[in-house]
Amino acid sequence: MNNRKLLPTTVVGSYPKPNWLRRLIREYEKGEISNKIMRRAYDDAVKAVVKEQELAGVDILWDGEMRRDEMTSYFARRIEGFTIYGEVRVWGNNYYPKPAIIDELRYRDELAVSDYKFLRRITDHEIKIPITGPYTLVDWSFNEYYRTREEAVYALAEVINQELRRLAEAGASYIQIDDPAIPTHPEEIEVAKNSIEIVTREVNAYIGIHICYGDYSKIYPEILEFNVDQIDLEFANRNFKDIGIFKDYEFTKDLGFGCVDVHTRRIESVEEIKDNIRKAFSIVKPERVYVDPDCGLKLLSSEVAFKKLRNMCQAAREIREELEG
Amino acid sequence: MSRIIPTVLGSYPRPPWFREYLRKVEGLQKEGGRAMDEATYAKAVGEVIREQRDAGIKLFTDGQLLWHDLLCHLATKIDGFEMNGLIRYFDNNLYYRIPKIKAKLERRRSIVVDEFRVAYSIEHEMKTVLSCFTLASLSEDEFYHDKSELVMDIAHIMNQEAKELVRNGAKYIQIDEPSLLYAEKEDMNVMKDAIEVIRRGVDAKFFLVTYFRDAERIFPEVLDFNVDVIGLDFVEGYEKNFELLREYDMDKEVQAGVVDGRTTKMEDKEQVKQKIRAIHDAVNGETLYVSPNTGLEFLPYIKASEKLKVLCNSVGDIQ
Ligand SMILES: [Zn+2]
Repeated sequence: MNNRKLLPTTVVGSYPKPNWLRRLIREYEKGEISNKIMRRAYDDAVKAVVKEQELAGVDILWDGEMRRDEMTSYFARRIEGFTIYGEVRVWGNNYYPKPAIIDELRYRDELAVSDYKFLRRITDHEIKIPITGPYTLVDWSFNEYYRTREEAVYALAEVINQELRRLAEAGASYIQIDDPAIPTHPEEIEVAKNSIEIVTREVNAYIGIHICYGDYSKIYPEILEFNVDQIDLEFANRNFKDIGIFKDYEFTKDLGFGCVDVHTRRIESVEEIKDNIRKAFSIVKPERVYVDPDCGLKLLSSEVAFKKLRNMCQAAREIREELEG
Repeated sequence: MSRIIPTVLGSYPRPPWFREYLRKVEGLQKEGGRAMDEATYAKAVGEVIREQRDAGIKLFTDGQLLWHDLLCHLATKIDGFEMNGLIRYFDNNLYYRIPKIKAKLERRRSIVVDEFRVAYSIEHEMKTVLSCFTLASLSEDEFYHDKSELVMDIAHIMNQEAKELVRNGAKYIQIDEPSLLYAEKEDMNVMKDAIEVIRRGVDAKFFLVTYFRDAERIFPEVLDFNVDVIGLDFVEGYEKNFELLREYDMDKEVQAGVVDGRTTKMEDKEQVKQKIRAIHDAVNGETLYVSPNTGLEFLPYIKASEKLKVLCNSVGDIQ
C-alpha cells in the first residue's frame, strides 16, 4: 500500500536518447571530446528528458537512462569481478557486450547514487530508480568464477544491496529492480526470490520489481512471495491476454500495469488506454494500481514516446477523476 | 579403436570487423537489405577457417557467418515462408525470428550453396549445416496443418539442396535438430522417413546433430535413422547420454560435444581428456568426432578459438 495519489503514473526507465547525444557519445568513444564535456552533455540530456516527462504528466519519473548504454554491461563495468571480452549476438545484427564473472564480485563504483542526486536537484517529482537485478545480471553474463549460478547470484545480490542502502540513505524512496530473466528459468525461482531478499535487506524504500516479455504463468503465484511492494509487468504487448493468469490467486502486491505498447509506433488514444487501465482492476483494486508503459521507451522516437506518455497520463487522470467523483 | 577427429558444430562468432560491416549493409531491423560484397564475405570466412585450423580442427564449417539464426537463414530462401516477430531460442539469451508458413514450401533457388562454394574454395574438409524437423517445429504453420506433411516437404527441399551441395564438392552434411530432443514418438517415425528423403541420391556423409539437452527421448529410435553420425551433447546431457552409449550397441559414429560452447570458462584439459577417453571406449565407429556441444556464436570472438584449443589439445594427448 502507499500514500500516493490514486493511479500514479510512472515510467519503467529508459527514454529515447536525443540524436545530438548519440552523436556526442560516438565522438566521445573515439576520444574526440573530454570527460567534462560528456558529463555536461549527459546532464543536459537528463534535464531535457525530465522536462518532457513532466510535460507529459508523469508523476514518478527517472532520468531516462541517458547515461546507461545497456542494462547489463553498464552495471558490470562498475562492479569488481566482472570483465567484458567482447560482444555476443542477441539476434540478427544486434549484439551486446556480454560480461564475464572472473573473480569475486565486490562493490566498487556507485551505480546510481549520483544520478539520483543530480535528478533530485532538478525536479520536484517523485523519483523511481531502476537497477538491474542480480538474477538477471548473472543470467546475462558468463560465470567463470563461482561454482554455481546460485552462488554468483547471491554474491551479486550483496553488491546490489549495498547500492540500494546507499540510495535509501541518500533519500531515494522508490527503487525498481529490473529482473526480466526470472521467468526464463522458472526452476530457479527460489534463487531469484532469495536474491531479492538479500537485495532489499535493511533498505528503507518502496521496492518494485519489473519483469517483461516472459511467461508469467511460470512464476505466478510464487512471485507474490518476493520481498517487494510492487510487481510491474508488461500487458499491452500481448494485448492483455495474460490478465487471466493473475485471477486464480489473490494479487497481494501493488501492481505496476504496463498499459501502453512500446514495440509499436502507433499512438494509443486516451480512450483506448482508459479501457486498458480498467482491465487492471480485475486483478487488484484501483488503490493498488500504478500506471506505466510496458517497458523502457528507448526504442521509440522521442516524439512517439512523448505522445504515448501524454495520452497515458491523460487516461489515468480521467479515470482518477471518475473514481474520485 | 576409433580415430578421433576434432570438429566444430556450426556457427562461429563473426570477426568484429565483419559484424560491423553487416550491421552497416543490412541494418539492425527485421528487414535487412542485402548488398553483400562477395570478396568481403570470402575474407571473413577465410579468417574463421584459419582460426579453426590454427586451433587444430580437422573438419571445418564456414562458421555460418551470414546466418542470423538457425531458422531464418533457411526459411528466407524457401518460398512459402514469411518472417515474423522475435522469440527466445531455447534457454539462451538469444532470439530468432519466427518463420510463418503461408503456402506450400518450395525451393526455387539454392539456399546455402553459394556460401558453401566460397568456403570450399578455401578448405575442402567442409561440413555444411541444414535442418529439417527443427525448422518445421519452430515455425508457425498456417498452411499444412499436418506436421508430417510439412516435415516431408522440407525434407524434399533439403534433398535438392544436398544434391546441389554434393555437385559442388560437399562430402559432409550435418542436419541440426535440437528440437528433436523434445519430439514425440510419432515425430520420430516422420523424421526417420524424412531422413530417407533427404539422403536419396546424395553421396555424402550425413550427421544428425542434437544439443542443449540429453537425447533420451530419441533413443533407441534414432539408431534406425539412415545417418552415419549422431551428434550428442556431452555437456548438458553428459550422464544421460553416456548411459545411452553404454546401454545401446551403436553401429553409428558419434559426434560428441565435449566442451561447453556457451561459456567463456575454459575447461580443464585433463577433465576433457577423461571425458573423451570414456566416450572413445564406449563407441565402436571408425571415427569419433569431438566438438563443442553447441555452435560458438554464444561466445565473444576472441574466446571461440581459445575454446577450440582446449578441445584440440585434449585430443592430441589421447592419440
Ligand atoms: Zn522491461
